[in-house]
Amino acid sequence: MNTTELLDQFVLEARECLEQIGQRLLDVERRPDDKDLLNDLFRQVHTLKGNCGLFDFKPLERVVHAGEDLLDRVRNGTLTYSAGIADALLAAMDYTGELIDLVARDGQVPAAADERAQALAAALRQHLAPGAAPAGALPQASTGSGPATPAAAAAAATTAPLPDWVQALPAEARQPGRVALRYRPEPTCFFKGEDPFHLARHTPGLQHLAVQPAQPWPAAADFDCYHCNLVITLVSDAPQAYVEEHFRYVPEQTELHALRQEASATPAVAADVASLLHDRLRRLWDDQRLLLSRPGIAAGSVAAARRTLGQLLAVAADPAAANTARQALEALPPGAAPLAAWATQHHPAGAAAVAGAPVPAPSALPEQRRGPASAPDDNPGGHGNGQKVLKVGQDKIDRLMDLIGEMVVAKNALPYLAQRAEDVFGQRELAREIKTQYSVINRIAEDMQHAIMQVRMLPVGTVFQRFGRLVRDLSKKLGKDVALVIEGEDTEADKNVIESLADPLIHILRNSLDHGIELPAARLAAGKPAQGSLRVTARQEGDRVILDITDDGAGVDTDRVRAKAVERGLIPADRASLLTEHEAVQLVFLPGFSTAESISDLSGRGVGMDVVRNAVERVNGTVALSSTRGQGTQIRLTLPLSMAVTNVMMIESAGRRFGVPMDLIVETVRVPGEDIHHFKQAQTVVLRGRIVPLRALNDLLTLDTPPRCNADGEHAVLVVRLGSETIGLLVDDFHGTSDIILKPLEGVLAGITGFAGTALMGDGSVLMILNPKELV
Amino acid sequence: MPIRYLKKHAALEGTVTADDAEALGQWVQAQAAPAVHLGRCAGLHSAALQVLLCLQPRLLAPPPDPWLAAVLGPLPTPRPLATPAQAHP
Repeated sequence: MNTTELLDQFVLEARECLEQIGQRLLDVERRPDDKDLLNDLFRQVHTLKGNCGLFDFKPLERVVHAGEDLLDRVRNGTLTYSAGIADALLAAMDYTGELIDLVARDGQVPAAADERAQALAAALRQHLAPGAAPAGALPQASTGSGPATPAAAAAAATTAPLPDWVQALPAEARQPGRVALRYRPEPTCFFKGEDPFHLARHTPGLQHLAVQPAQPWPAAADFDCYHCNLVITLVSDAPQAYVEEHFRYVPEQTELHALRQEASATPAVAADVASLLHDRLRRLWDDQRLLLSRPGIAAGSVAAARRTLGQLLAVAADPAAANTARQALEALPPGAAPLAAWATQHHPAGAAAVAGAPVPAPSALPEQRRGPASAPDDNPGGHGNGQKVLKVGQDKIDRLMDLIGEMVVAKNALPYLAQRAEDVFGQRELAREIKTQYSVINRIAEDMQHAIMQVRMLPVGTVFQRFGRLVRDLSKKLGKDVALVIEGEDTEADKNVIESLADPLIHILRNSLDHGIELPAARLAAGKPAQGSLRVTARQEGDRVILDITDDGAGVDTDRVRAKAVERGLIPADRASLLTEHEAVQLVFLPGFSTAESISDLSGRGVGMDVVRNAVERVNGTVALSSTRGQGTQIRLTLPLSMAVTNVMMIESAGRRFGVPMDLIVETVRVPGEDIHHFKQAQTVVLRGRIVPLRALNDLLTLDTPPRCNADGEHAVLVVRLGSETIGLLVDDFHGTSDIILKPLEGVLAGITGFAGTALMGDGSVLMILNPKELV
Repeated sequence: MPIRYLKKHAALEGTVTADDAEALGQWVQAQAAPAVHLGRCAGLHSAALQVLLCLQPRLLAPPPDPWLAAVLGPLPTPRPLATPAQAHP
């Protein structure tokens, strides 16, 4: 995997993480006591941080790290989750999102980002009020080069007494909340151009700095000034992340220790710590035994286990026993077997307890490893449920879909070929075989199409996720109390449909929040509960997805809507007064309509509902608005499940073929010429007891040919639905239906109205697809 | 040249680099009673720092940087007690 792919993967995962984090943050705010939620949130942030660390995205990592620290404190119960924390975290995650977008675009974080990252990190760290909680709750980033295993280091850092080098620090430097660091440069570091003292000297927030020889200074004659023999200890009051960042090039040579208050705060805590310590000690001890019991263990591993065990003795509960054990350890011959025997004999839980018990199963091991690697797997809401998930970029899916679309079109050429084989070459047999082959290919193509559709299906919940945040922020800003209820977020629809939904829905929600739901006082006065409710429901009906957005607010003020529409010159005043309530409500869909007196950043720019309608109609959806004064508003969006393949009916008029989208067609009828009523210019026909206006397609397309009848003097009438009306189009003839890939008109043709686009047919011809809405 | 080797002491001025450390070490070892003057020393490379820490020349004037001065604190000052071990003529 090269860097670019890795980066792409990172961006993908980071976005996913951020989405989940955003969701979790809101969940946690609702249920701050839910440990699982908090843990999950923490894990997500932790994963994100780990991923950021893979690349050199310092500003990104800084913000995320600060968030992680904060969450860790919340998770440990040393800090209470509050709205302030939530705000800070949300702001930080927003910025992280922005940075990720930049990374996706440029492949790097702009240098200017650091300043803002610092500010956000500082805002986060503000909540880590000094003294409010022991600083020991900070994650222990013991990146020490010590011989202990990572698990041992983590255990030691959480429970063990301060390392001796920390204890050796002067008391006034060792204040809680500070970070102590020991830096042991490599002996050869000077040849790499490093200057350890210079590095340490410029540590942010330096409070204490001491330099000692690592080994006693040799005699002057043996002294080699290019053999680094320095150990630097320092204390800083800067956040741990900054210190870590400062020493980022030499992580394996530094040991970090977050200073906290002395462990003897309360006896209860001390007892807790002691039992935890004992527990950890036993586990580590068992780990070593497990390691030693492996066949063919390397000498180095034995040495490491020996060292680890020796160090574990230092924290043993019984110092006397530990001493004996240590002496025995020193006297041991090299090799795994004696050491294993020794480990069993001097087990901290008592030799007797262990002698009978087998070496613990390795499954006990991983749970104490805390690392970025383990985090993505235990993601409960995601994809950890055993099924393998492949992450694929959207462009690849789109390409696959395009190809399948081409395939569908190409297979449509086979019936033409069969026809030709029969008509032109008189090969009846061959024609039949081609048709058989066609049916096989047709079936496969349909399956493929179906499969790719499934891949592109997304739950509408992916759009809804953003709503929680939106409603929370807006209602806060407006001083309203709103409960958002979301139902049916599992309903699936095509990705493009879902994505095209996001903006209209946000418009609608904003409108509801801004205009619909009243202030708590007004609601109480109207006899409604102070908390407004905003309900978003999604469900599938046939091949359409129906979205309802309902609020229990004031409803549309039709008088004001009428007045505004007249004032803005959208309709004449006399017509406005004639409109029914329902019709008046629909005025809000007129372009340029807005009732807001002043432009706020929420709504009122006059790009409200007509934008919504356009966006929805672009994906062949419809919007319906109904409103009851004082009781609320309901907006219903009806959308197609998928928009990749359009089913059209082919018609013929004036010798040309056109396509009409099937979902607009109500019926096709043959109407005898004498049944058509003429009234001045208008023609109508009565169909099933309803009067249907007729328009000749040739007239609409300004073709100078009169409609043609068939042999029986009947006109072909295509009845289409336009909004709530039906209208009959007089055409010359009907042909079959066909699945086509609709290509919108582009370039100079883009301005032509009346056509939805073009499609390539199986015989290589181009079919123009009509858009009756624009035609009539 | 950031180090001026004078008759009685070496004056470390400006930024002493790693390359200067070896010469400094040799000079300090060659002196009967080495002394260094860091009054105008702006920066001291770690290699040079450990030369001073190991060979313990007398410190005539501490560097202006308080952190560096603190680290060099253990060096003998101009009126030292006898430090015979350091003298390697």
